Amino acid sequence: MKRPGRDDDPDRLYTVTGGRSRSETDAFDLVTLVVGECEPAAGMQSEHASILRICRSPTAVVEIASDLGLPVSIVRILLGDLHAAGRITARHPRTPATADQLPDPEILKQVLVGLRNL
Amino acid sequence: MTPEISPPSKPSAPGAAARGAGQPSRTQPPKTGTGTSLALLIAVLITGPACLYAVYAAPLSMRTEVAWGSGAAAFLLCVTAAVAARNILAARALRAIVAQKDAETDADRAVAAHFADVIVPILVQRLRAGASAQTALAAVPTVTNNTHQRVLHSLANEVHRGEGLRAAAMAACANAAGRVQALATSMAADLRDLEHKYSDEEVLGDLLHLDHRTAQTGRLADSIAVLTGARTGRRWAKPIVMESILRGAMGRISGYQRVRLHSSCELAIAGHAAEGVMHALAELMDNAANFSPPTSEVHVYVEEASAGVIITIEDGGLVMGEVALQRAQQAVSNESLDLTNLSGTRLGLAVVGRLARKHNLSVSFRPSAHGGTGVLLMVPQTLITQPKRETQSMTREPAAAPLPPSGGISQAPRQRPLESVSERSLETRIPAQETPRTANDLPKRTRSVSAPSAAAPESPALSPPAASESSESSASTEPSPEHAPAGETDGGLPKRRRGQTLAAAQRRTASASADRAAEPARSAEHSGSRFGAFRRAVQGGSSAQEQKPDDSSSVSPAPSSSRPEDNTE
Repeated sequence: MKRPGRDDDPDRLYTVTGGRSRSETDAFDLVTLVVGECEPAAGMQSEHASILRICRSPTAVVEIASDLGLPVSIVRILLGDLHAAGRITARHPRTPATADQLPDPEILKQVLVGLRNL
Repeated sequence: MTPEISPPSKPSAPGAAARGAGQPSRTQPPKTGTGTSLALLIAVLITGPACLYAVYAAPLSMRTEVAWGSGAAAFLLCVTAAVAARNILAARALRAIVAQKDAETDADRAVAAHFADVIVPILVQRLRAGASAQTALAAVPTVTNNTHQRVLHSLANEVHRGEGLRAAAMAACANAAGRVQALATSMAADLRDLEHKYSDEEVLGDLLHLDHRTAQTGRLADSIAVLTGARTGRRWAKPIVMESILRGAMGRISGYQRVRLHSSCELAIAGHAAEGVMHALAELMDNAANFSPPTSEVHVYVEEASAGVIITIEDGGLVMGEVALQRAQQAVSNESLDLTNLSGTRLGLAVVGRLARKHNLSVSFRPSAHGGTGVLLMVPQTLITQPKRETQSMTREPAAAPLPPSGGISQAPRQRPLESVSERSLETRIPAQETPRTANDLPKRTRSVSAPSAAAPESPALSPPAASESSESSASTEPSPEHAPAGETDGGLPKRRRGQTLAAAQRRTASASADRAAEPARSAEHSGSRFGAFRRAVQGGSSAQEQKPDDSSSVSPAPSSSRPEDNTE
């Protein structure tokens, strides 16, 4: 489908990150929820602006990457920039903790059955 | 004087002079001979009687001496007269010959000048225009001079051969450059794929490095192609936004990390000129980066003017002197393509000049505020367009907005037939809100309506979060949860979506609520379905397949697999 030389845009990934290939911070893994703290401003790098638009509501890093069409490593570098500038905050999903706090499925099933029998 | 003397041209002038000098010496004696003999005769005629008279007039005793003396004197006189006459005659003849030779030389000189100033240039011009040697020779005025003809023939052959060699070399260069371009382009595409494939940072770093090298190779090949008159590398099928232009240019130079872009320009450059502009900018940036200290930065500013977009590249290097500025200016505005004064390493400005002529860009140099040199490149208004707002982030933007109805906009055309009849009131409300927004975001609408098949692989990926977000924010009354099944069935294939579990739970809750709000008459069933949704949310939606077919709440043409829990009971 994609012919060589017809890739979508002329800017290469190293220009997007300014030549960096690793992020300074470990704050972002694939499922970290990212929340934008400010609106995109004029003169901002377009990827940063896009991230801020996407992150108006909490969005996972992988989702941002797929929205931007960029590799996750690159997105993490970009997120690191924004994070360092204080424009986004990262929220780590606390799956184990919440799983512990959830009621036992068996109890819920019993409640359901009880309700159906009403 | 004679026709056989005139043919020799200048180079053979000494020989002609020798021959000319020898000939009069042969032809002169008859003339001088008659003149001399005439003078001798006259002298004899005068001195003879004088001698006789002297002898006769002298006394008898002295007659012998007088006879001898007068005889000797008469003889000497005759000889002197004869010699003088001969010399005078010879000098006169030589003077005439010299005058004649002067005239001949002048004529020769005129012919030679005509040959050099008119005939040879015509011949060379014809040959440069691509004519063969014979055609060019036939086209020039006829040359009577034999030597000139020979010179002309050899000249024609040599120039023709040289032109042939030059053209062949150019074609070979252009061909090779084109192949390197193609290789670099496909390699860049491969590298981009690899960069998406390998997420390891080490590998990614190496890939980016290779990518950078490939881009530089491509730029060099592009330069050679431009200089040899071949077509430029690749053509973009769509307008390229200014940021991508600048970054594309920046990515092709070695010192790209020193380039700082200051641009808030939202305009784009038409696809056919984008590559040329990018290449010219890359060459100018490369110059700026190369001729400034390795620690200094190169600043690029973009300014929109009425005549076009002005891109300024300023470095902090050495200030170019007046002469250097003029030379650079001349290099970029040089009308004729002259490759002779190109050194191997300074191709940049010549390339910029070619590209500027081709795309009607104007380039000017000036001292920079950063202490170095500034280059202004103006892209004319004819090459400027508005960008197609087609990127995913643009499309997603309204979808991610917190307004509840906005989540449904991108899928609204497909969503409507899927809505239940009882949701008419909601449906009529949604288009009222959606119309101005779709008018604002025209490309998005065309994308989702006119090219559903092309958008299908992408739209489902976009829609679920939109749906989940909107249902998150105001889940209870809006039909937005229906978008997700619409996107899925429209794609034709089941797709795994981001945040499926959580989104499914929220969506089911929301859809249950929506159904309850829309159809309060069936609240008993729906209370059950809501608990069903709740249960599935807890169990991760694993039991989503156990549903019966739809009964009445939805007129969906395609039974959706992710939303039947409304009708579980």
